[in-house]
Amino acid sequence: MNSNQFYRVFSLIFMASFTVSVLGQEITGLSIMQLVDDAQRQTNNSSFNKMQLSSCKFGVASGRITCAEKPRVKSLESVAKNYGPNLKDTKSVTITIEPPSERGIGMLNFTYDEIGRDNETWLYLSAIGRVKRIASGDSDEETEPASLFGSEFTTEDTETGKLEEYSFEILDETEIAGRKVWKIEMTPNEERSKKTRYSRQIHYIDKERHVALRSEMYDRYNKEVKRLMAARVELVNEVWMARSLTMMNLVTNRLSNMAFVEIYTDVTIDDEFLTQRTLTDVAFRETELEKLRLILD
Amino acid sequence: MSSRLGRARTKTTRFYSFIFLFGVIYGQDNSNKSLDDILLDDNIDFAFDDSIFNSPFETEQESSKNDWLDNFTIKVSQQLYSQINHHRIPITPTLSIDRKRDLEINRLGTNVRYQNVFAPGWLLQASAQLRLHWAGDYQSEVENKNFEWEFRGNELFLQRSFANQTIKLGRQTVVWGETLGNSVLDVININEFRDFSIIDIEDARLNQWLLVWDFFGDDSDFSSFINFFPEFNPNPVRGSPFFFEMPFDLTEYDREGDLIFEVGTKWKRSFKGSDVSLMAAYLYENQLSFDVPSEAFKNPKPKVNDFVLFGFSVNRALGKLLLNLDIAYSHDVLLGSFNFLSNTSMNSGSSSKANRLGTSFGFEYAVNNNQNISIGIQAQKLTNIDSTPFDNFSGNERKVFGSWLARYSNAFNNGNLTVSSTLQGDLKGESLLALMDVTYNLNDKWAISTQIISISAADNSPLFLFSEDVRLGATVSFSF
Repeated sequence: MNSNQFYRVFSLIFMASFTVSVLGQEITGLSIMQLVDDAQRQTNNSSFNKMQLSSCKFGVASGRITCAEKPRVKSLESVAKNYGPNLKDTKSVTITIEPPSERGIGMLNFTYDEIGRDNETWLYLSAIGRVKRIASGDSDEETEPASLFGSEFTTEDTETGKLEEYSFEILDETEIAGRKVWKIEMTPNEERSKKTRYSRQIHYIDKERHVALRSEMYDRYNKEVKRLMAARVELVNEVWMARSLTMMNLVTNRLSNMAFVEIYTDVTIDDEFLTQRTLTDVAFRETELEKLRLILD
Repeated sequence: MSSRLGRARTKTTRFYSFIFLFGVIYGQDNSNKSLDDILLDDNIDFAFDDSIFNSPFETEQESSKNDWLDNFTIKVSQQLYSQINHHRIPITPTLSIDRKRDLEINRLGTNVRYQNVFAPGWLLQASAQLRLHWAGDYQSEVENKNFEWEFRGNELFLQRSFANQTIKLGRQTVVWGETLGNSVLDVININEFRDFSIIDIEDARLNQWLLVWDFFGDDSDFSSFINFFPEFNPNPVRGSPFFFEMPFDLTEYDREGDLIFEVGTKWKRSFKGSDVSLMAAYLYENQLSFDVPSEAFKNPKPKVNDFVLFGFSVNRALGKLLLNLDIAYSHDVLLGSFNFLSNTSMNSGSSSKANRLGTSFGFEYAVNNNQNISIGIQAQKLTNIDSTPFDNFSGNERKVFGSWLARYSNAFNNGNLTVSSTLQGDLKGESLLALMDVTYNLNDKWAISTQIISISAADNSPLFLFSEDVRLGATVSFSF
């Protein structure tokens, strides 16, 4: 539902790698997944992204998954920065650029690492004419996860691991899309089971680049309900990232693709930009964004 | 009266049963489609071709172009609305009004919005609408024309943002209060509910000439405004559903050189899981007040009334639940200023004033990713009524009065299809308005929507003349 969670998508489950190698250590599912959290913080910190979020009903044509209808496309810009002890809290703002009917809709999100502290979200809708706090629930609670801008991506799909609440098992070492991968099963413990929609998840992690190329999410009846596919794995600012993520909802037969069209990290972001002012003050927001665009150009 | 209200409630029950059944049937349709056989097939290539998503990476260069047309957002829509329930409204035991099936709205509208940050920290924003009223539309019918056109400017303001301050000058809106659509603090803007195609207050707000100054502090924000030219809710347009022929016309407020203004300020601070605001303002009541003219063939002159408003609003997020509370204390308001927006709302000839204590309480609940429910209750009570011996009050003015509002929305297919409904009523249970809206987005530009509005009202309700009306509307829109 917010830009921070976008980063989490490609870093938590599909993770970028570090130059740190796990060679020489005992390779476990946990050790691989631990790389994810570190990579996430790195990608979150002081970042500016341009994204495209496309959704459609899907089908199969010529042996490939494809859209069965013309996709609905949203263009977004987001800015994020880490705060707090060890930079584990994140403030982010995401603005809708397209389609025209949704232009200017913005979302501000504060994500706290502190256990028991709810994340906070504010939304600006020009039709309402003011900033509105959102009661979307927190994924740490027993709530239904919220959708990201109406797509198939939800907060649960994109949140950080809380790895201590899961057990991991490397099921296999195999190949997918011509890449050697670890097949890792991620199972929530009893406490986590009360909070998650999934009874288990299986991730296929690229051995060399430490990016998940495919993930499968199973419900409590052990039925696969979602599948996520990564593509365009590229080295961006020394971190491997999947720039194209596609989440398939296998219940509704709909999918959403999140394309990170432009990714910039380690940019200078004024603290004041990550406030409610950015949602309502168009002149301020566009001026600050233009500064970022110019720097990046 | 009660039977009429009962019949309308039955209709409402059927109406919501339809929504419920629709949701169930729709859900079943999707859940029956399993892709197990596809997903277990290792021959299928799940490495996607991004080109099916409009090739986002290839269009990168193009999307970064700064086209001056990007500053415009345009929406063209064609709207049709009809009253479809032929019935009679009894006025007296021997007199009744025949309410025939009738086309009320046949309108082509174009809304244009321009937003341009033309220099660092500078914004020019404007919006306007052009309406063409085709044959059958109440505004062309009243003029006996095949079509009538109307242009209205909405926003027009210049904004300068610098450091931690922002100044906006021009036509704009200021919205106070947390309770959606039903706040006692949402009184800065004037509104025009011209017909039943406008139900939500968000669509009814009109802009005024304001100077707004915002200060963004480290812990809290201030927002202040001055209204140089206070305007008032427009009188009902001749021919509209809210207009009723009378032996006189309602006139606009004649300023006669009077220099009147409004001013107000709001302080806001966000705490953990909560936003708190305090407000104070000197305002004029938005709804003009008219006395029945004492002489024949003479039009009544509107009265304007200034008052002082003190407000407090707070919200609290608890998981999926968001609680909202607004409190407003208005000092020296006119007794007759709470009437329904039609020209049947005439005062009793009194200029008596009172203080008014109002509260809006509501909650919003996110059922799941796609479904949302919000309920708001507004209640007001007059205190310190300053009445003269000539006033002829019924006593109702001393009781608590108000309204309630319930909204429900459910989005399907990533928001392509949205079903929403609104129920509105007054606290006395004398009126009920039920609206159902189904909107389908064909693509990013085209959308179609249909609405059904049903009204039931008791004899002493301001909505009495619309009782048992059922309206069916359809809108096709194109945005670019």
